[in-house]
Amino acid sequence: MTDFMLFLPELFFILGAIVFFIFSLRKKADPAAYHKWAVVIGAVGLLVTVAASRQGGMLFFDCYRVDLFSQVFKVLLALGTIWVIFSSGELKGIDPRQHAEYYFLIFVCTLAMMMLVSSVELLTIYVSIELSSYSLYLLVPMRRKADEFVETGIKYFMVGVTASGLMLFGISLLFGMAHTTYIPQLIQTLPGIISQPATIIGLILALSGFFFKLALFPFHIWAPDVYQGSANQVTTYIATASKMAAAAMIIRFTGLSAGASPGMIKLLIVLSILSMTFGNLVALIQKDIKRLLAYSSIAHAGYMLIGILALSDRGYASAIYYAAAYLVMNYSVFMVIMKLADDGHNLQIKELAGLHKRSPLLALTLMLGLFGLAGIPPTAGFMGKFLVFAAALEKGYLFLVIIGMINATISLYYYLIVIKAAYLLKPVNELPAVQVDFWTRCMCVVLVVMTIYLGVFPDQFVLLTEAAAKTLF
Amino acid sequence: MEMAGFPILTAILSTTILGLLIIIFIPPEKTKLIKQVSLASATVGLVLCIWLYYAYDHQKGGLQFVERILWVKSLGIYWFNGVDGINLPMMLLTSIVLFTAIWTMWELENRVKEFFALIFLLVAGVYGVFMSMDLFWIFVWYDVSLFPMYPLIAIWGGTRKEYGAMKLTLYLLAGSALILPAIIYLWVAGGAHTFDLFELQRIGFSAFDQKMTFIMLYLGFGILAAVWPFHTWSPVGHVAAPTAVSMIHAGVLMKLGAYGILRIGMTLCPAGAQYWSSLMALLACIGIVYGALVGLAQTDLKYVIGYSSVSHMGVVGLGLATMSVNGINGAVFQMFAHGVMTALFFSSVGYIYDRTHTKIIPELGGLSKTMPIASSFFIVAALAGIGVPLMASFWAELLVFIAAVKVFPVGGIAALVGLIISALFMLRVVQRTFYGEKNPKWEHIPDVSGFLAVPRVILMSIILFFGMFPKIMLDVIQSTVIPFVNRF
Repeated sequence: MTDFMLFLPELFFILGAIVFFIFSLRKKADPAAYHKWAVVIGAVGLLVTVAASRQGGMLFFDCYRVDLFSQVFKVLLALGTIWVIFSSGELKGIDPRQHAEYYFLIFVCTLAMMMLVSSVELLTIYVSIELSSYSLYLLVPMRRKADEFVETGIKYFMVGVTASGLMLFGISLLFGMAHTTYIPQLIQTLPGIISQPATIIGLILALSGFFFKLALFPFHIWAPDVYQGSANQVTTYIATASKMAAAAMIIRFTGLSAGASPGMIKLLIVLSILSMTFGNLVALIQKDIKRLLAYSSIAHAGYMLIGILALSDRGYASAIYYAAAYLVMNYSVFMVIMKLADDGHNLQIKELAGLHKRSPLLALTLMLGLFGLAGIPPTAGFMGKFLVFAAALEKGYLFLVIIGMINATISLYYYLIVIKAAYLLKPVNELPAVQVDFWTRCMCVVLVVMTIYLGVFPDQFVLLTEAAAKTLF
Repeated sequence: MEMAGFPILTAILSTTILGLLIIIFIPPEKTKLIKQVSLASATVGLVLCIWLYYAYDHQKGGLQFVERILWVKSLGIYWFNGVDGINLPMMLLTSIVLFTAIWTMWELENRVKEFFALIFLLVAGVYGVFMSMDLFWIFVWYDVSLFPMYPLIAIWGGTRKEYGAMKLTLYLLAGSALILPAIIYLWVAGGAHTFDLFELQRIGFSAFDQKMTFIMLYLGFGILAAVWPFHTWSPVGHVAAPTAVSMIHAGVLMKLGAYGILRIGMTLCPAGAQYWSSLMALLACIGIVYGALVGLAQTDLKYVIGYSSVSHMGVVGLGLATMSVNGINGAVFQMFAHGVMTALFFSSVGYIYDRTHTKIIPELGGLSKTMPIASSFFIVAALAGIGVPLMASFWAELLVFIAAVKVFPVGGIAALVGLIISALFMLRVVQRTFYGEKNPKWEHIPDVSGFLAVPRVILMSIILFFGMFPKIMLDVIQSTVIPFVNRF
């Protein structure tokens, strides 16, 4: 019975998936009703996940660990999912006949990622990551006029399977060296064999699967095209919820090499610097806002890695905090995009012109979200960067932190261009005011308050993330 | 947790935040109400600051009106505010400039609500930096005060506003890219458990750490203090900005840079400051001379003031570099005097520009005949800028140069020469703008009305008041600077 309780959030999302599987069998589609169902199921799912957040225990022959770390990420996943579903009311980017499948795949993908953050056995991890990847492979090309964006789906699939292949190879090397696939046992055996090249290669290859998900340089090439080519809602899902799972796994995996391999840390430092610098520099010239956010996500993967590669409790905690802040801020920006592009087209930056007149609330939400991403106080994004840099400096990585800060300054340029469009540019032809319904208004206020609150009163959240990081090993 | 009675510093800070929140909820059409609310909350801030200044006991000295609450436990961040002789004049300056700037902008009609909301956000940051004694909060407030500059210049600005706004924002945030690592570095070196400035001071740092962090802090904050060669954002930004923003920016914001060097850099890294002091003095002297020389060649009134600010901030830098009682006294006093003076400068140029729509010197001319009162404000500010006796900046510059000639004889004399050049160019500007041939185009323009003259008169009288009674301020400053210098 207790085992059943431990698995409750996952079970609930299985239930949600089944409901939409049944809906998808119906001949006549009813998108409005599907949306209501999905919102209710998603909201209850979030409540269930929150209710289960203080549980702990092992399941399935110790392959599956429920601890504070996994539960925090499950709450973030459920939160991201309900937000995406909430914004799917005007799902114009996807054929109405496919809406049931869309929700079905979203629930399956969330389920898979929830399993992912709890898995402590390499094959379970692999199975979970594939389940979530395949859901996304199907979601990405689901967009209307898919023939225009068909390249996107194929590219995502090809790069994704390659990353999976590398990861599987890495896992097999690790198994060969350590004779176990259980992470707790790996932690004990790895320090002895970490100097062996095969172990390092195994670890790096296994990590590359997660780097692919997080869109870290050089595993980023899918991100701009997929962000641009998918329906806005699917992009949002990839940019928010799916990043959480990737961050969680990188934290769990990098910890395996804790303090043992300087070469590995050097590699991570290089990846982090390349990712930040490349993402920010290329983002400078983007015109399509989703592409811009794709490159910014590559840069943010680099910042997050700074915290992780400190390999200390404070570092992992800071990365968790960063992930949570990133979820809130990125969703703020994407929500505004989805609202403005309600016919499902790709929003260009210049289309934001005059937004402050068309809807002051959306403009404010967008601005705070972008300031958050740029790391300007008093937003959650600043606190995230601060914690990450503090953790890295504690280990003495001064130059990494300075490079990170310089990158934050560069990134401010392109965020400011978007803000400038929303607040300063005069639209070419007057556009009508944006109709913002009651629930969206509430959501804007919630997001604004969360962004500021997490930035100004971080005490409780920092304690929570530190407690979560302690349960890791 | 320590709380000494009524948290007056938090109250001063919250006048700006409350003002901001109230303005957000006023409908944008009610511009009059928005201006009244702004002026009212600025007045409350001013009254509280004057009371604070009056109530500060300079016999006792040290940190007073302390508020200290643990904010983030696991990192050791404190909500820690207090005033001493260094930040008290700065608080007073901020409240004066805010009050007069808002009054100066009474005629604003374009996007009034957003303008005043952003001004309050900016000033909240400024107050915050001056009152905080916790490194984390100093940095947070520092950044809060920087980013409203972008919209303030880009929306309401004039000449090349978008370029000026972007340049300024990126320059200043590049500065904070050095400050944040330095602050965290100090936190780590201090055992990674407290951001409390004075606790870190008690812990003390190795010579290497001090040298390293001081140069980062100096360069980071130096950008905002317009230290040569990082000053190029400053004239461009001033020219682009609307009047009130120039006033706050040149009057208060640039002081944040010098204050940061003094408060964080020299407090925590005295050995580092000693090590780098000749560099500081060199850059400051170059700034003084360079600002004066470039100012000579300008034809735009705002550029003239912009470059004279570079020159005057150089005096502050030179004062700090001497690391002596007189030098630092003079530097702090100069920050105050220069703040009031530039506010008056920009305020009077703002009036002229609003009416004539030009600030090009050759196009003006003979203004003292058409608008004698408006001209008199500028002339008083120019005299203060030159450092004529009986003006507040005279005492400040005197103190700095006495100290500088003793510590850096060559640099000190070079700086004095720079000052003479700047006197030359100021007088030339005054002569060509306000005297000489009258331009018939401006004859119909009315002089400053009584209502709009009030903020300028206030600024002018403050310059004269502290010029005649410098002891009132120097006693306060000195009460902190003497023990401060004794630690070196």
